Amino acid sequence: MEQSEKQTIEQVLLTHGKYIGPTVGVSMLPMLKNRRDTIVVVPKTERLKPLDVALYKRGEAYVLHRVLKVVDGGYIIRGDNCYADEDVPEETVIGVLSEFFRKGKHYTCTDKKYLKYVRKHLKHYKCRRFFVILKAKSRNAVKKILRALGWRSKK
Amino acid sequence: MKIKKGFVLRVVGGENVVVPVGEMSKVFHGMINLNDTGAFMWKFFSEEHTLEEGVDALCAEYEVERERAAADVEKFMEIIQKNGFAE
Repeated sequence: MEQSEKQTIEQVLLTHGKYIGPTVGVSMLPMLKNRRDTIVVVPKTERLKPLDVALYKRGEAYVLHRVLKVVDGGYIIRGDNCYADEDVPEETVIGVLSEFFRKGKHYTCTDKKYLKYVRKHLKHYKCRRFFVILKAKSRNAVKKILRALGWRSKK
Repeated sequence: MKIKKGFVLRVVGGENVVVPVGEMSKVFHGMINLNDTGAFMWKFFSEEHTLEEGVDALCAEYEVERERAAADVEKFMEIIQKNGFAE
C-alpha cells in the first residue's frame, strides 16, 4: 500500500486505466444512490453509444449521466433521475461507466439484465415526467390557494 | 485495533480496491489498492483485533514464518494509522 500524490480523475484514468470511487448526487437514482454505491469508470476509447453512462466535465464538476442520442460533435445526455436533456460536447467526455456496485452487488454495463432495466426505465420516462410536473403544479396551486386564504407557512 | 467504518472493499478485475462510502466519502477522496494479503488484513481488522491476533490469522491463512508475518502486520497497521484509517 503506497501513497501517491493527489490526482484528478483524468489522471487516474490515464495512469490506472480505470477510476473506482463512490457515487455522489441523486441524478442517477434509482440505479445509483448518493454515497452508497461504487462506480468503475474506464477511459473513453471510441464514441459512446446510446444507453452508455458518460463521465464528463461541466466546468470543474464531474458529471455521470446517460447518453440518449449521439449527435454531431457530442451527445444528448440526461441523468436517470433528471427531467432536462443536456447537449454535451465530445471533448468534455472523459470516460464511460463499465461496472458498478449497487447495494454491494456487482453489475457490468453489458449485463443483459442491466440493459433490460435501462430500456424499461427510459420507456417510462414520459409517464414519470408527466407525474413529476403534475405534482409540482399541484403543489404550487395548493400554495397559491392557501396564500389567498391568508395561510402563512412557518419559517 | 480496528479500521474505521465507512470503507468498502471491492474486487474489480481481480484487483482489491477500498473505496469510501457515506460520510467518509466526504472527507476521503481516493482509492486504496491492496494486494491479496493486504485485502485479507483489511477484512480482518475491520473488526476489533490485536496485532497478535492479526499475526495468528496471517500465519493460519498463508504459509509464512511468524517473524515475517509480525513484521507485515506491523507495517500494515502503521500505514493504516498514519493515514488515519484506524479507530
